[in-house]
Amino acid sequence: MIAKINRSVKQVVLVKSETSVSNLQKVFLLFADWWLFLIRFFKELFHMPFEFNEFIRQGFQIGNKSLGLVTITGFIMGLVLTIQSKPTLSDFGAESWLPGMVAISLVREIGPVITALICAGKIGSGIGAELGSMRVTEQIDAMEVSGTHPFRFLVVTRMLATSILIPILVFYSDLVGLFGSYVGVNIDGDVSLQLFLLQATGALEFSDLIPATIKSIFFGLVIGLAGCYKGYNANKGTESVGIAANEAVVAASLLVFVVDVIAVQVTNILV
Amino acid sequence: MISEEKVLKLDNLFKSFGSKVVLDGISIDLNKGENLVILGKSGSGKSVLVKCIVKLIEPDEGTISVLGTDLAEANNKELNALRIRIGFLFQGGALYDSMTVRENLEFPLARHHRKLDQNELDSKIDEALDNVGLKDAADKLPSELSGGMRKRIGLARTLILNPEIMLYDEPTTGLDPVTGNEISELILEMQKKYQTSSIIITHDMSCARLTSNRIAMIRDGKIYKSGTFDELKSLEDSWVKSFFV
Repeated sequence: MIAKINRSVKQVVLVKSETSVSNLQKVFLLFADWWLFLIRFFKELFHMPFEFNEFIRQGFQIGNKSLGLVTITGFIMGLVLTIQSKPTLSDFGAESWLPGMVAISLVREIGPVITALICAGKIGSGIGAELGSMRVTEQIDAMEVSGTHPFRFLVVTRMLATSILIPILVFYSDLVGLFGSYVGVNIDGDVSLQLFLLQATGALEFSDLIPATIKSIFFGLVIGLAGCYKGYNANKGTESVGIAANEAVVAASLLVFVVDVIAVQVTNILV
Repeated sequence: MISEEKVLKLDNLFKSFGSKVVLDGISIDLNKGENLVILGKSGSGKSVLVKCIVKLIEPDEGTISVLGTDLAEANNKELNALRIRIGFLFQGGALYDSMTVRENLEFPLARHHRKLDQNELDSKIDEALDNVGLKDAADKLPSELSGGMRKRIGLARTLILNPEIMLYDEPTTGLDPVTGNEISELILEMQKKYQTSSIIITHDMSCARLTSNRIAMIRDGKIYKSGTFDELKSLEDSWVKSFFV
């Protein structure tokens, strides 16, 4: 059924691309194509056998290799946020609220969004370029003609890995950000780590973590989706690899913000 | 041994990309055990034709029957089952560049023969590599191989599933004449060993001469002439003659 719809959409996209269509129609057709790609991911996700080794390999690539970048950005996020907020809070005599404010900002919004954007750049472009290059050099076609389900091997493993690893990276980034904030507080102050953590965690509630974690899973999903969609559907020709990588980053960053807006609205309604 | 049984039937195939007509009503059959060479100039639609056979490209019109199955009627499961019976050697080998040669061969084999243990997989891989004379390259990455070696490994990866039909997309393009001839001889050797029926897309006359039982020449999206190498060579047609100069 999905394959039939997919084929029809592809045919419509092909026919429409050859004739004059309005930009609005193109947007709808593109949206349908993305949507079908996402549905195919969920459908193939539950098809056995699962490519476990490739999933682990991708998890390692995504997680381990992003760790350095996430550590640096997380630390700077916490440090800068603290240094920027400190004078204003001092004016109101509310300097003791600094750890709590930074913790809430990091956990609820800045940590997930900045980490996701960093990953959109690093992971999204990496997946887009890798799959794009495989498409151009006919490696994906070779998998297809040997009946080895390239979508399951290449797309499902990567999208699942990003969906699981991004929340973990976000959590790690939050912790590093708090450490950065602790360093920022102590640049011209003297606050013990124990007191800092007490104030930071005291301001946080368990309900702050749940929406942020769920949001991060969706960030991971859309980063994987953008990279895989652009790479898997890359055109033939070497320039397509660059285009796929570039478009993957743009699409992933945009989708992160779209997911963020939706997540904020849903959280406001539910919490 | 060529039999009268048709393993592949292409009937009235049309394919165009935008306003460019690539296939304009091509009909052709492949007999069991036969090596059919498709000759034509670059951009004449030869590669599109073979990609239609494995449904990498869908024709606009016409029917394709592979081993008795109409491709248009086959669902995904049937299509995949059919694809296992067809081998496809891509122009550049299409080796998976993140995997070693051994992993490249293991990839399709392990997915289609899940009951084989690692020792059985290894012995089949060694045998396949031995067939193409590259047993020592098992642990190399594709980036460490020459063009000819890549094609040999590509051939080994394809043949490891014992396909009944082989499709070769320009197997000797980009190779020096000596390596090109080695690949052509390897194609013949594999045909004899595995009794495959093959379609060989090429514009290399040396490869066509060595490998063909029959040649079909494509011009303007149609089959222009067909016959054996010697029959075509003796024709007075100037366009055909230009290939044999």
